Amino acid sequence: MRAAFIIAGKDLRQRIRDRSAIIMGIIAPFALAAIFSLLLPTSQSFHTEYGVVDLDRGPVSALLTSQVLPGVVEAGFADLTEIDDRASAAAMVEGGEMGAAFVIPEGFSDAIASGRDATLTIIGNVDAALATQIAEAIATGYAEEVNAVSLSVAAALGGFTTVQPGAIADLSSRAAVFEPSILVEEAEADSKQMSDKTFYSASMAIMFLFFTAQFGILSLLSERRQGTLPRLVAAPVGPWTIVIGKALAGFVLGAVAMTVLIVASTLLLGADWGNPLGVALLALGGVVSATGVSAMAATMAKTEEQASGWNAILAMSLAVLGGTFFSLDRAPEFVSSLSLITPHAWFLRGLDELGSASGTVADALPAVGVLLVIGAATGAVGLMRARRLVVGR
Amino acid sequence: MGGTTRVLDCRGLHKSYGDRKAVDGVGFHIDLGETYGLLGPNGAGKTTTISMVCGLLTRDAGEVTVIGEPIDVGQIHAKRWIGYVPQDLAIYPDLTAEENLAFFGRLYGLTGKKLKARTNAVLEVTGLADRRDDKTEEYSGGMKRRLNIGIGLLHEPRLLILDEPTVGVDPQSRNAILDSVEQLSGEGMAVLYTTHYMEEAERLCDRVGIIDQGQIKAEGTRRELVELVGQRDRVRVVAEGDVDAAAAAARLVDGVEEANRSDGGIDILTNDARVILPSLLRSIADAGASVKGVDVVEPDLEAVFLHLTGKALRD
Ligand SMILES: Nc1ncnc2c1ncn2[C@@H]1O[C@H](COP(=O)(O)OP(=O)(O)O)[C@@H](O)[C@H]1O
Ligand SMILES: [Mg+2]
Repeated sequence: MRAAFIIAGKDLRQRIRDRSAIIMGIIAPFALAAIFSLLLPTSQSFHTEYGVVDLDRGPVSALLTSQVLPGVVEAGFADLTEIDDRASAAAMVEGGEMGAAFVIPEGFSDAIASGRDATLTIIGNVDAALATQIAEAIATGYAEEVNAVSLSVAAALGGFTTVQPGAIADLSSRAAVFEPSILVEEAEADSKQMSDKTFYSASMAIMFLFFTAQFGILSLLSERRQGTLPRLVAAPVGPWTIVIGKALAGFVLGAVAMTVLIVASTLLLGADWGNPLGVALLALGGVVSATGVSAMAATMAKTEEQASGWNAILAMSLAVLGGTFFSLDRAPEFVSSLSLITPHAWFLRGLDELGSASGTVADALPAVGVLLVIGAATGAVGLMRARRLVVGR
Repeated sequence: MGGTTRVLDCRGLHKSYGDRKAVDGVGFHIDLGETYGLLGPNGAGKTTTISMVCGLLTRDAGEVTVIGEPIDVGQIHAKRWIGYVPQDLAIYPDLTAEENLAFFGRLYGLTGKKLKARTNAVLEVTGLADRRDDKTEEYSGGMKRRLNIGIGLLHEPRLLILDEPTVGVDPQSRNAILDSVEQLSGEGMAVLYTTHYMEEAERLCDRVGIIDQGQIKAEGTRRELVELVGQRDRVRVVAEGDVDAAAAAARLVDGVEEANRSDGGIDILTNDARVILPSLLRSIADAGASVKGVDVVEPDLEAVFLHLTGKALRD
């Protein structure tokens, strides 16, 4: 084992001396993260003000005012204000103080209960198109719920036109069914808790990690080209020791680069990575997986050029697929499923879990586990192939 | 067999690449203080043999022991007895000479004062002491070669293995290399030396194995090999005075097979010029001729190789 450290130490000295590892591992990702987080428009997270004018004050309008809309508020993308009349609501929306307003007319509950048409009005503003669209979507969902309930009420009551108290109770219980669609939105809004600065710092860090870690096993190929490999093997040092020394160098480079990036982006870019222990575990998982994957890639190749070429292609493909360039929040289902074969996606997901309002270290552990498994599986293949490279046949 | 003086023993080494038998049943041994040469053309199997001796290469069959300990890819303990100098340069261009030496020294278990002392000693011997802090990529070809060999000597091995160390080296450096091998051998180190230069094998090696197509075709001292071919030394003595009487006297000297008058001197055929030369010259002088010059033309390993394989050493 002592010999593995000697080999790793020698490799690290060489990598520091040629600066490639520092550029690839630290300078490039930090510069890109800085550029992205400073130049790109900050935050796509959405927030608006909604007004509600309840002229009905009946059981059906209460469903909207006391259940649906508070759910929206709780989800964090709108604040809610009660407004007394339609005219002032219109004025406020017009003036831009409000994104949109819901107006529930007088007799709304009665109309629904007796099966008559009832109209819920949304006052919107083209300048706040998104706020208006979301308000419409909320209202439409609400209306569908109410209609379904009133239909079932009508059926249950066998054509009677008076709503019984029991039917109203039924209506509220259906409101509970409405909630899951709000919850979906909530989850989406929650994932936005990772700020852009953190996201870009994390995604550049994990992307470039796959370039940094390759310097470990890849240097076996340079040793072979330089003719120093036979000399290493001629020394009283086992083949595994040599391979492990090489992998260790890649691991240390990756770990140092990761640590520097986390600290630098926190201090200089204002990134907020989250609980230090959780971040450390995720970083460890990321470095292990990058060491493993790049060991596998490097040993598939015949020359250094080929190896770094393949590693670059692999690193970029995984980075794109893993959502380091674009958040996968809005990607089609199969893309986000597919992304889960990449360490990148798990790394970002782990940080996401860690950073959510209720996130703890335990929430990051599944992602850490997956990263370690990916690293162990690819690393086993890579190191076995590397050993065959060391021992002539 | 064995005993305390046996440094290397290898037997029945085989290695094939596909259908090609790179090494086909090679075996030899080297004793303390002995320099053994593997002489053969490019592609004969010298490097492949050495790679198996050093445990760099998995072998198809055969055994290698150094100081009585087995060596193989997985049996690494005895590797510490060997100082291996690869055919191609094996130094890190982006490290200094001192860093190169320190790295390999540590791999052989040298540390602290001992490492420092050995590093200094090797830098001194290789004449690189004042360039010790320069990256080796800035070195001349000769300096790189010297360092390459120096690394093999760093841990004071019992067996030094040099694989064609003079290929692509200028005559001056080449001489220096040959001198230092002679010196090391004189200090008691066992040396395994491969070359396709007949003169180097003749100059350095106590025993030579002639290798071709993966097989040792013949082995022995230079003299034994030459005798195998049945050739004799030719001594040409340039003489004045009674040359005829001198030729007749020479014919009577023990070990002389033929002695004939030729213009300006006597042509003598013997099976060992070096041994008979003193008595030969005395007889010639006693017969009344004065010797102006002596030229010994020994049959060489080139001729032996030609005889054994039907082809020249160098293509
Ligand atoms: N790795 C290899 N793969 C295939 N053939 C090889 C390999 N190494 C050596 N050979 C072949 O084995 C033979 C002996 O090679 P080598 O031991 O290098 O000869 P030498 O050192 O005497 O020049 C040559 O024919 C060479 O082409
Ligand atoms: Mg060779």
